[in-house]
Amino acid sequence: MARLEVKGLCKGWDFPVLDGLDLTVEEGEFFVVVGPSGIGKTTLLRLVAGLETADAGSIIVGGRDVTRIPPYKRNVAMTFESYALYPHMTVFKNIASPLVARKTDSAEIDKRVSEVASLLQIDQLLDRKPGEISGGQKQRCALGRTLVANPDVFLLDEPISHLDAKIRHELREQFHTLDALRKVATLYVTHDYSEALSLGDRIGVMGSGGLVQTGSPRELFEKPGDLFVARNLGQPTINIIETKIAGKKLESPGASFKLSAKQQNLLNGHKSGEISLGIRPQNVRILQGDEKPGRGHQAFKGSVDIFDALGAHSIIIVDIGGTMITALGSPDAMYEYGQEVTVAVETGSFHLFDTKTGKVL
Amino acid sequence: MAVTVGGGASAGAGATLPDWFTSKKKNPSNLIVARWVPIALVGLPVLTLLAIVIYPTIWMFYHAFQDTNMMRLFQHNWSFVGFENFKTVLSSARFGDSVWHLVLYLTFGTGLEVVLAVILALTLYEVVKNSLLRVILLVLIVLPMMLPPSIVGVLWKFMLTPSNGAVNHALLNMGLISTPVEWFNAGVSLWSIIIADVWNWTALPLLIIYSGRVSLPPAVYEAARVDGAGGWMVMRRITLPMLKEVIAIAFIVRFMDAFKFVDLVYVMTSGGPAQTSELPAYIAFQRGIREFAIGEAAAYAIVIFACSAVIITLFLKYLKKVLKAQAIA
Repeated sequence: MARLEVKGLCKGWDFPVLDGLDLTVEEGEFFVVVGPSGIGKTTLLRLVAGLETADAGSIIVGGRDVTRIPPYKRNVAMTFESYALYPHMTVFKNIASPLVARKTDSAEIDKRVSEVASLLQIDQLLDRKPGEISGGQKQRCALGRTLVANPDVFLLDEPISHLDAKIRHELREQFHTLDALRKVATLYVTHDYSEALSLGDRIGVMGSGGLVQTGSPRELFEKPGDLFVARNLGQPTINIIETKIAGKKLESPGASFKLSAKQQNLLNGHKSGEISLGIRPQNVRILQGDEKPGRGHQAFKGSVDIFDALGAHSIIIVDIGGTMITALGSPDAMYEYGQEVTVAVETGSFHLFDTKTGKVL
Repeated sequence: MAVTVGGGASAGAGATLPDWFTSKKKNPSNLIVARWVPIALVGLPVLTLLAIVIYPTIWMFYHAFQDTNMMRLFQHNWSFVGFENFKTVLSSARFGDSVWHLVLYLTFGTGLEVVLAVILALTLYEVVKNSLLRVILLVLIVLPMMLPPSIVGVLWKFMLTPSNGAVNHALLNMGLISTPVEWFNAGVSLWSIIIADVWNWTALPLLIIYSGRVSLPPAVYEAARVDGAGGWMVMRRITLPMLKEVIAIAFIVRFMDAFKFVDLVYVMTSGGPAQTSELPAYIAFQRGIREFAIGEAAAYAIVIFACSAVIITLFLKYLKKVLKAQAIA
């Protein structure tokens, strides 16, 4: 058991994919890397696993530099997006394969495989082949293969993204409760922000070249460091409104947003005066009937542009004089296209970004 | 006319089917094309098959039980002899010898071809990483297969000529032999045919196995690398087991060819000397086409057909079971 350190990791093919990526995963920590597809998340895992060689930088597992040594000497275990089970072997043999490769004696193999299998609730399936089990069971089998080897570092590549929603939920629960996963350094890669928010002890948001921001799920959600992080965490996507500073207000076409004294201080001495205003849909609500906006809220009149009822909640996009704003609605209220509504925006929740640099102010 | 459907499971009670659906005349302008084109497309090949496969087969089965030869055939004067032809075939020492030759050919010819194909295909895939070089080597390996067997036979007959053939010349010059090998003597001629056949046909199983290796999922190999399996272990525990079915199919293809193997035997040795390099199919050909013992030749053909059909059916059954377990078929 050990911590994983990645320092200044660089890798590129015809263009640079990772450019000086730094990352530390403590022993026992569940670190989730989240980012859009094609950004280099899987490349990062493959580099740590040793399936690719780094162009520069170093990978340190438990104080030992493993950058130049082959995969099997690194004591890392990896699950693959496609599971990569051996189709001609039974589930038992699949799980046992890392032990067989390390020439463990057969009594020990039996013991450890059955331990892992009962942990993952696949002990009835040990005699079947991968072609005869379901997707969720395959994923558990693949997970079993990584768990059985007692590695220092776990690398999980989108382990649950190809499963249907119900099994995904079940496995996500399992990730929370598996003690084995909680004892080692785990690096988990996903493109699904909600998976990241729910699983990670810490999250790293990956942008082009490296991690844009790292922190606890709460930190990242409440204080996104830049537009990229703000846009990629949260569903529905955060409202980003292009505005200009006008005295104590931010002006956008058709709407002007009042700022508190604290927020005005942040804008003091801003050169270009172009600000991207971020408002989470959770902080925008539609007022019902004669309801007045509460303290710390600013009201806007507008008309409904899109209404999406999703069961547990609904998403309403409202046109306030040319500026579109997304609001989260309660499940019982229904709206029609063009309906006149009043939206209340919680002014304390504004995220202010510099439009030019994308950084938070 | 609109029809009302009552109480269907999917269509609720009172659902109405549209007129175009219930009408008998659907798009009448295309009716002739729609009806006759499929019949013509299926019918023509069926007629062709009937003429050149089904009819001759039935004819063969019929004459296997007659005392037909050339003379009687033209005089329409053949008569039923029961299993007489089969008795002749199964009791002849010539047939027994040819079966032994077939066993030798299957073991050392077909077997060697498949083993060589596995070695070459995997070497080509694992060792040669330059894709241009790989294509060039592949083309070179496949070249012999593109030659007609009759040419291959003549070629090897020249090369193996004892007095001044290229092979003996090379072996003598390298000092591997001191006197020329008599390649077409009794006991050696079958091996000459096997050598030529291996040269001619190794490329076919090689192509099958190579393409099988190309289509194996790369993620499995990466998993093996992380697991810590070395090169030999990967070969033994992953590559070969996963290629098992492909190798079996390559073997079946060559196995079936063995039962109808005539061309090289005919060109190189004509089964000789003294019938020491005859294979069953060659005897059937010799008896039927050269000596016009048509009834006997038909019996030969049926015996060969029955043997290969039984063996291959068993083989395919086993294969299907394996494939099913891996959810491939």
